[in-house]
Amino acid sequence: MIGANNSSIARTLIGLNTLVSGAALVIACIAFGTYDRTTSRAGAVRTLSVQAQIVGANSVSALVFNDPDTAGVTLSALNAAPSIVSAGIYSNDGHLFAGYQRDDTIETPRPRLMSSDATEVHRFENERITLVRRIVFQGRPVGSVAIQSDLQELNARQAQYVGMIATVLVASLIAAMLMSWLSQRAILTPIVQLAGVARAVSNGKDYSVRVPATTRGDEIGTLTHAFNDMLTQIQERDTSLHEAQHALETRVRDRTAELESVNKELEAFSYSVSHDLRAPLRHIAGFAGLLQDQAKATLDEQGHAHLRKIAQAAKRMGQLIDDLLAFSRIGRGHLTSRTVHLQDLVREAWLEVTSEQGVAGRVIEWQVAELPDVTGDPAMLRLVMVNLLSNAVKYTGPRPKARVEVGATRDVHGETVVFVRDNGVGFDMQYAHKLFGVFQRLHSSDDFEGTGIGLANVRRIVHRHGGRVWAEAETDRGATFYFSLPAKEHG
Amino acid sequence: MLHPSAVRKGVTLRHLTLTAAFVLLGAVLHAQQAPPRDYDVKAAYLFNFGRFTTWPAAGAGGDGAVFGVCVLGRDPFGAALDAMVTGEMIDGKRVTVRRIARAQDTDSCRIVFVSASEDTQLTQILQSLVGSRILTVSDLPQFVERGGMIQFVSDGKKIRFTVNVPAATQAGLTLSSELLRVAAAVRANPKPGGA
Repeated sequence: MIGANNSSIARTLIGLNTLVSGAALVIACIAFGTYDRTTSRAGAVRTLSVQAQIVGANSVSALVFNDPDTAGVTLSALNAAPSIVSAGIYSNDGHLFAGYQRDDTIETPRPRLMSSDATEVHRFENERITLVRRIVFQGRPVGSVAIQSDLQELNARQAQYVGMIATVLVASLIAAMLMSWLSQRAILTPIVQLAGVARAVSNGKDYSVRVPATTRGDEIGTLTHAFNDMLTQIQERDTSLHEAQHALETRVRDRTAELESVNKELEAFSYSVSHDLRAPLRHIAGFAGLLQDQAKATLDEQGHAHLRKIAQAAKRMGQLIDDLLAFSRIGRGHLTSRTVHLQDLVREAWLEVTSEQGVAGRVIEWQVAELPDVTGDPAMLRLVMVNLLSNAVKYTGPRPKARVEVGATRDVHGETVVFVRDNGVGFDMQYAHKLFGVFQRLHSSDDFEGTGIGLANVRRIVHRHGGRVWAEAETDRGATFYFSLPAKEHG
Repeated sequence: MLHPSAVRKGVTLRHLTLTAAFVLLGAVLHAQQAPPRDYDVKAAYLFNFGRFTTWPAAGAGGDGAVFGVCVLGRDPFGAALDAMVTGEMIDGKRVTVRRIARAQDTDSCRIVFVSASEDTQLTQILQSLVGSRILTVSDLPQFVERGGMIQFVSDGKKIRFTVNVPAATQAGLTLSSELLRVAAAVRANPKPGGA
């Protein structure tokens, strides 16, 4: 049932059982065979020895009274033993006294096996046993008898034994296979069920299935129960996980919506504030200008200076508001994604930066390495480059010979890192974390103009591209700004 | 080819077979290749008859201390018989050779060889030995027919012997069946004129 016989465990079990019982049987058969061979050979030697003793005892008088005929008659009695092929009685000096051959082709054995003090020796050779025994009469050796027997009987017995062993072996193996086939079903049925359920769970992710319950108290029963318990637990976890996930998703959605609305409100607020601030500012600037024109004669020099200060402050505030609005736009605007030729983009940005006021007359060494193509929003990336280059130009102002360098590297993951290096005033690395904040400045606006929003824009743009920004610098030793762009733009 | 042990044990080993007699004779005659004389063979047989015969436990002939092999009449064996029995034991007794002239001198004799010289007195000799438990041997013709126990015969090539079982039985002696097997003839009932 349930295809247990096709499972590899069933085959393994049957094979293992057959192998084990087969090995045990073979070893037992070899042991018994060896034992049988040894004992049957010993028995054959014993039989031969007895025959030699009888022949010897009956040949004493024949030897003593020189009667080979009588000895021959005694030997011919060996005819009754079909396995004896030849025999001989020898005088003490080794001469053949009387002989017997089963047929004429066989020679009588030579008693050369006999050593001086042995009573009896035997030797197996050429499929024969030769046994030589000294004939002793009243304590005196009177000659010797040699009997040669073939091993036909032994071999026949051995062949019979081998045949029997082979039969027993085959029968036992078949029985072992049958037994293991019958017994494996008891073990395998629950395992196969278990495996089926496990497969169903693994493939279908269906944790509601269960292995049919068993009353077995053994490891398989334990396994089945444990598996079912495990499935129950997994099912419970799965359910609670789904619920938790669902709850989480709902919560994230709510929070996001909440945040978005708050953010929108905030943006709208800052936009409207910035926008609304412009009108009074224009008034201040306009009326300050009017006052300067109309009251030129009545105002003294100090009054003029105050008016100029008012105009400058208004102008600077307008700049700040503009930048703030731009920053807000960068955060909100849609980001396109297309291939950008960084080389062209950097050249254009450089031209834009160097065409501004305050650069004329300066000596600036400009160095651009070969730059790769990247993916991103061209206008935004242009803004990044303009900001970084303009910073570089700005902070190299005090250098009689300024140097600005742009390069890029691309690592194995496809991330492109672009750097802008200058030999300007640099900064103290301990303030590096402040660099990219809004309106954060490391230098006073008296030394270098600017609102402090450029690098904040850079960071915002790069972050929106999924990249990072950082900088390395040393006071008075120049600075290097880095930004990275991931392999594929995703936002 | 002699076994080392045979050499060590000397003549006593060899004399047990026919060829041993030949070697022994060689020692006597200083000519080992010479064929054995008939009486050398007969000396060996005479000695061996003693080994295949059983005497009754009590009342055996002789003084009981020695196993006498006696030659009655003119001795045809010479030194061969003495050499044969030297150091030998039969029935637990030392074998000695005695040469006697009268049938009355058989005190320590177990075996009496009646020499051819006693042919004329044979009947009287056998008569006097009745009831004496002595094995009588001779090469006189008609010896067994005349009441003797073992008689040497010759078939021209070999020395053989005939046995008179009833005579031995009457004397209380048991002749081994082995001996009877190799005998040329065995008389069960002594009858004048044939075996």
